[in-house]
Amino acid sequence: MTQPSDFQLTAGTVIDHLPVGTAARALQLLGLPREGPITVGINVPSPRHGRKDIVRVEGLFLEKRESDRLALLGPNVSVSIVRDGAVAEKTVLDVPERLRGILTCPNPTCITNEEPVSSSFVRLGAFPYSFRCTYCERITRSADL
Amino acid sequence: MAQNHDATEAFRGRSVVSTADFSKDEILALLDAARAFDRYHDGPVWTPQPPELQGRVLGTLFFEASTRTRLSFESAMLRLGGSVLGFADARISSLSKGESLVDTIKVVEGYCDAIVLRHPREGAARLAAETAHIPVINGGDGSNQHPTQTFLDLYTIREAAGRLDGLKVGFMGDLRYGRTVHSLTEALMHFDVDLKFIGPENLSLPQELREHLAAHGRSGVEVEHLQDAGDLDVLYMTRIQAERFPDPMDYERVRHAYRVDRAALEPFGEKLKILHPLPRVNEVAHDVDDLPGALYFRQSRNGVIVRMALLHLILGGALPGRGDA
Repeated sequence: MTQPSDFQLTAGTVIDHLPVGTAARALQLLGLPREGPITVGINVPSPRHGRKDIVRVEGLFLEKRESDRLALLGPNVSVSIVRDGAVAEKTVLDVPERLRGILTCPNPTCITNEEPVSSSFVRLGAFPYSFRCTYCERITRSADL
Repeated sequence: MAQNHDATEAFRGRSVVSTADFSKDEILALLDAARAFDRYHDGPVWTPQPPELQGRVLGTLFFEASTRTRLSFESAMLRLGGSVLGFADARISSLSKGESLVDTIKVVEGYCDAIVLRHPREGAARLAAETAHIPVINGGDGSNQHPTQTFLDLYTIREAAGRLDGLKVGFMGDLRYGRTVHSLTEALMHFDVDLKFIGPENLSLPQELREHLAAHGRSGVEVEHLQDAGDLDVLYMTRIQAERFPDPMDYERVRHAYRVDRAALEPFGEKLKILHPLPRVNEVAHDVDDLPGALYFRQSRNGVIVRMALLHLILGGALPGRGDA
């Protein structure tokens, strides 16, 4: 089986090498569909990773905070920017050691959920990622964020 | 008196938010400084002369009720010659009018030289320390941290046992939500200490603390009953709070099971040191108070000593009576 190819991207983004089962979460994180058309491949064979999910969105170009969020979904997630029907740029996403303002602390009594302050987390180790809130110091797994 | 100069200097103008922010050397430097203030070991707390912090003002912002922490900080500042201002109840502050913590801190930092903050939300002290241009000392932020309690606990243990290394320390009661348990455990990881945790299954250690211990090659023995804890040098009691139990019957069962009296402590001998951050409800029977190892009121008294040392290191100058203390 090949990757879904109902349409060819002219200008947009391919989010590739998502762990199987995370495509829907990726759409949710990005607030999609706000652009499109979108094709979603789930449990697609991958020469390198066995199986993967893949999302292709016409007209979408990610901001840094959006790609930081996507990076939480897996260790090898890549983002390719397509222009004029060809891949112009490909990046394998990396989770920064410090995440500021892109997540919400799940601790309801954390001060960041009351005061006008950006959330702040420190990444602990490699995938599967855990994060310590800089403020309330609670440790949260990425799946719970 | 041994002083690590760099570690002592590290306190100057610094906020105190979390136990984890302090190295072993810094903690030991604070405990050594506290010993210099503990001049009348068996008498009243010393009032140093000349008053080192005369003209300095400590703001005590207590958005949540406190007796020991607030009064001992105020006592410490007054004994150092400084003054205090603040509030002990959020209802009389502008918070009741909807003012944010950040705004409150920005206003109050204009009135004082350092702030002690107690707040019901975890992370409040970190946010206040980031906001203020003066030092902020965490007097308890929700269920997260209470670093000065940990420092006075360490001071009291070292004072009574003569050391911190080589001790067997048991924590009993609410291991899950008790912030004093978590902070002191983290600080004790700097030392060669055997840790034991005694509590009901539904109030056992948080998994993240267990993992934190394991990640540092440490483990704590976890048992449900005191008699299974083996030998102990220190027993750190905590209060089990009724509101942690959805079923009041469960609370009733547990609160009697995690109560110690003189008879229960007899097998551990006279060397056992019994600590409790207070207030106690019924978890330590009053017949324990006369045991030589009952240190909980000593802890309260030491709270003033340790907080004097902390304010001195943050705001003050040379150690009192250096060379003759």
